[in-house]
Amino acid sequence: MGIISVLMGAAVLTALLTVSLSVSDNIGQEFTKYGANLILQPQSNRIEIGLPGVGMGSVTEQRYINESDLWMIKTQQMGAKVIGFSPFLYQVVRVDNGSATQDAVLAGTYFNKTIQIPHPVPPQNLETVSTSVADVSPWWKVTGKWITDQNDTSSVMVGSKVAQNLGISIGQSLKVSYAGDQNGTAQTKTRDLTVVGIIDSGGSEDSQIFTNLPVAQDLSSRPGKVHTVQVSALCNACPVEDIAAAIKEKLPYVEGTSIKQLTTVEANTLAKYQDMMGLVTGITLIASMLGIFTTMTANVVERRREIGLMKSIGADNRSVALLFLTEAAITGLVGSIAGFAVGIVLAQFIGLNVFATSIPVRWEVLAVVIPVSIGTSLLASALPVRRATSIEPAIVLRGE
Amino acid sequence: MDEIIRLDNVTKVYDGGTQALGGVTLSLKDEWTTIVGPSGSGKTTLLNVIGCLDTPTTGTVHIAGKTVTGVNKAELTKLRRKHIGLVFQQYHLVPYLTALENVMLAQYYYGTTDEAKVVNALKNVGLGHRLDHLPAHLSGGEQQRVCIARALINEPTILLADEPTGNLDQTNGQAVLELIQNLREAGHAIVLVTHNQDIVKLGDRTIRIVDGTVAWDSALGGGDHGEQ
Ligand SMILES: Nc1ncnc2c1ncn2[C@@H]1O[C@H](COP(=O)(O)OP(=O)(O)O)[C@@H](O)[C@H]1O
Ligand SMILES: [Mg+2]
Repeated sequence: MGIISVLMGAAVLTALLTVSLSVSDNIGQEFTKYGANLILQPQSNRIEIGLPGVGMGSVTEQRYINESDLWMIKTQQMGAKVIGFSPFLYQVVRVDNGSATQDAVLAGTYFNKTIQIPHPVPPQNLETVSTSVADVSPWWKVTGKWITDQNDTSSVMVGSKVAQNLGISIGQSLKVSYAGDQNGTAQTKTRDLTVVGIIDSGGSEDSQIFTNLPVAQDLSSRPGKVHTVQVSALCNACPVEDIAAAIKEKLPYVEGTSIKQLTTVEANTLAKYQDMMGLVTGITLIASMLGIFTTMTANVVERRREIGLMKSIGADNRSVALLFLTEAAITGLVGSIAGFAVGIVLAQFIGLNVFATSIPVRWEVLAVVIPVSIGTSLLASALPVRRATSIEPAIVLRGE
Repeated sequence: MDEIIRLDNVTKVYDGGTQALGGVTLSLKDEWTTIVGPSGSGKTTLLNVIGCLDTPTTGTVHIAGKTVTGVNKAELTKLRRKHIGLVFQQYHLVPYLTALENVMLAQYYYGTTDEAKVVNALKNVGLGHRLDHLPAHLSGGEQQRVCIARALINEPTILLADEPTGNLDQTNGQAVLELIQNLREAGHAIVLVTHNQDIVKLGDRTIRIVDGTVAWDSALGGGDHGEQ
């Protein structure tokens, strides 16, 4: 009965701690698994058209982020939390593989880019930064190969929908042309690119094609410019907005927006779960203490003759207290170990039903559960033990 | 013979208001004193007071030259360990400890344990072959002999026995009484409560308690033995 009480409390405590530890670890991993969680864009300036008070609409001035500023994403105050980033310059191009043509968005980005940092900045004092689109898009499934060389200007990676529509296969050569105007005169630039890989992302990337950034900058004659930067920041507890603010401090013309990923939802679920389990654990521990108290009191009352006898043959209060506290401690120890086992099963159940993930055994939880269980057992036994020490030895001779 | 126990005008009133002892003055020596009297007359209460198991309401108690009155419970426990050995009518043993361990427990509370001495003590009461038996596996007489071994293991000044043969048959009772007689020869003071006239004859001195007072004391003489 006493052991069952301890077991209950220990089981719930184990479940709470095990699930919390595993799930918060998971959330950390999922930041990397889910890639970018912050997108940087230039602050857009709206230019009003028409007379004051008579709005006739507005156009958004097209602005860019300077590629030469990007290293600061890594050297800003919270730069250590940035796992990777990748810029994107977009343009609509005509893709021709010899048998068919189609318009698609060409995105220039970084594949294994190493940036020389012009002047190292404390606290990190980095000299170079290495980053890749793979850091912000780890979920891409690539058939064939990634572009691996930052100086490769002849390779292209193709989204799966583009590849499907044009019947593109790996190794094929594509004619990619961009029609723009150069100094007021219409002009078309064309590049011959070899397909090295096909990307399946399940998102808008499937309708895009990807090259190294210089290819895109050259086609549309926008050297040193990018539209957006995707940032993957590992930030388990801190809000990603803090990182956006830290970047803005260095790059005032850049606005960061957090991308709400699944992880945020999970973090919220975890917080709610922890609140609820904290409450349940609290109640269970109190119930468990009541159970121990009741059992211990019954134990003392039942053994009052034995206690009286021990006192009559010379036991002092310390010996009597020690006897019952030892029993309480052993109950706490045995109950906590059994409760730990039950708690792991409970954690599995919660993991599968609430977080849809299996929960590994966390042995470090034992280091909390054992002392807490022994502590509550001892605490709950305090009054019964007082009762035991106050038993009069004279009851023995009276034969009660 | 030396005075071992002295009670001066001791009274005991229980919480409910029952007066169990009504002014007892006694001087007991290192001999065998038998206490007799009707049921409810205060014999057990008297043993409790002598045995430092209980404190008197008024009056003073001296054990082996020490004043017991007014000392705290911890002091009483120490005095009890040092001077008192107890044997009860119901042979009280700790049920989950063996005969050997039950006797060693008294040593343990006293300070140090000495297993060889315990084995010897159990042999002296004829239980050399029962060392590792639990009380449930011992006969009544054997249990009572374990109690006697335990009562004597720390060589107490006084042995208090409350109807020690009350629950025993003739043979076992005889064996226990022989052990007690040996103790008297060894110089212990013995205070024994009994209803049995045959046992009374074994003692050196008889005191009759009636209504919480000494009605007759063989040391003082008088013809009617207090039995009106
Ligand atoms: N703990 C107690 N509380 C109240 N009354 C008690 C208690 N113990 C004994 N008595 C009463 O005190 C009187 C003497 O009891 P006791 O010393 O046991 O007598 P005896 O041993 O001679 O039979 C009896 O009336 C008994 O009911
Ligand atoms: Mg009695």
